[in-house]
Amino acid sequence: MAKKLVGVVKLQLPAGKATPAPPVGPALGQYGINIMGFVKEYNEKSAAQAGSIVPVEVSIFSDRSFTAKLLTPPAADLLRKAAGAQKGSGTPNRTSVGQISRVQLRQIAEQKLADMNALDLEGAEKILAGTARSMGIKIVD
Amino acid sequence: MTAWLECSVEVDQEAVESVAEVLARYGYNGGVVVEPSWTPGDEGPEFRYDPSRPSVLRTYLPLDAQSEEARQRIEQALWYLGHMRPVGPLQVRTLAEEDWANAWKEHYTVMHIGARTVIVPSWLEYEARPDDVVLRLDPGMAFGTGLHPTTRLCLSLLEQYVQPGMRTLDLGTGSGILAIAAAKLGARPVFALDNDPVAVQVAAENVAHNGVHKVVEVAEGSLGAGRRMGHWLSGDFGEEVPPQPAVPGEAPHTFALIVANLIARVLITLADDLAANLEPGGILISSGIINTREAEVTSALAAAGLHLRERHVEGEWVALVHQG
Repeated sequence: MAKKLVGVVKLQLPAGKATPAPPVGPALGQYGINIMGFVKEYNEKSAAQAGSIVPVEVSIFSDRSFTAKLLTPPAADLLRKAAGAQKGSGTPNRTSVGQISRVQLRQIAEQKLADMNALDLEGAEKILAGTARSMGIKIVD
Repeated sequence: MTAWLECSVEVDQEAVESVAEVLARYGYNGGVVVEPSWTPGDEGPEFRYDPSRPSVLRTYLPLDAQSEEARQRIEQALWYLGHMRPVGPLQVRTLAEEDWANAWKEHYTVMHIGARTVIVPSWLEYEARPDDVVLRLDPGMAFGTGLHPTTRLCLSLLEQYVQPGMRTLDLGTGSGILAIAAAKLGARPVFALDNDPVAVQVAAENVAHNGVHKVVEVAEGSLGAGRRMGHWLSGDFGEEVPPQPAVPGEAPHTFALIVANLIARVLITLADDLAANLEPGGILISSGIINTREAEVTSALAAAGLHLRERHVEGEWVALVHQG
């Protein structure tokens, strides 16, 4: 019989440097996962990408086993890098921190599509454009 | 124990990334949790996300003099975002480390592994059958519950390889689970080493609970190059740490059996030290090897002069048995 899925959690963590401290401990402890088991698995899988934030999708099953699948870097990181900005704007509706082209937007959409809740490339672009706007990143033709 | 401020906010699908970016700016270690809405699929592990319902995002701040200011900055940033798309109110609560450190225990039950190993959480009762090798365990915040494939592979291999009187080293002992299993299977003496002082304390307690403290010696430390590594599970792998005092179990001792449930990178670094501490014909059980790095580990151990006897796989994880 297939194992029952009891939870799905995504975590954005520094690659290879997860610790049992928050957010890992509280996020996974509540599901009954042994936290060190996850830390070991995440750090080993993400070690090659040290220096980046690497999101991971954790599926937790009724027998308290779990799977950890690494995802593509957060869209915000990709947008920020494409725009050459250090961080998002604190006041996105007033202050812009940079701009990206439509072509760059499409490239990021292609890279992220598999991990996004979008039906197609167009849908992904729409979500990403929204993310860019709320970070104070302009999209130019 | 440190207390933490948990900041949660409910947002719609399109705002997840931008709000996560704000939370990552202030949250401890840049960490953000996203709890998306999902619905189970038709078959067990399958699921689909439900983009029509909101996700909950969380981040954590250590409760100190700066946490209130950080909370205000998050609130301010969310207020600006709230002008562009719906963002729920920021909810804040304090959390103590105990709240999650012990939460998983509720789900930890008696487990049968291999042919006769039984892991019994130290707070539960279990009536042993004549052939059972019972390990009573409270892993606390150390690695090694028996739930993880890397540990299960080692336990099965210990059943197969431990002979009475084998001088044994458990490198990276964590909760002490493998050292205790080896001792109960007849290995002695057993040295259990770990670079993490928390693990050393947890392992010593578990060794005592299992009544094998006369056989198992637990100490902080590692072999050769491992002593410069620090504690990789805490993310400070590779940084220089002051030399640690010599520990029992170091060269010139040689071992009939070494069990090393580590990770690929550490096994590769320690390949020569592992070989040097194994007696001629001795057995090395290495585990914690992610399948994508198996070849590197195999060639490092071969280069150190060890001969591959067998390999076992569970999911993405590989355990190897080598002979010196």
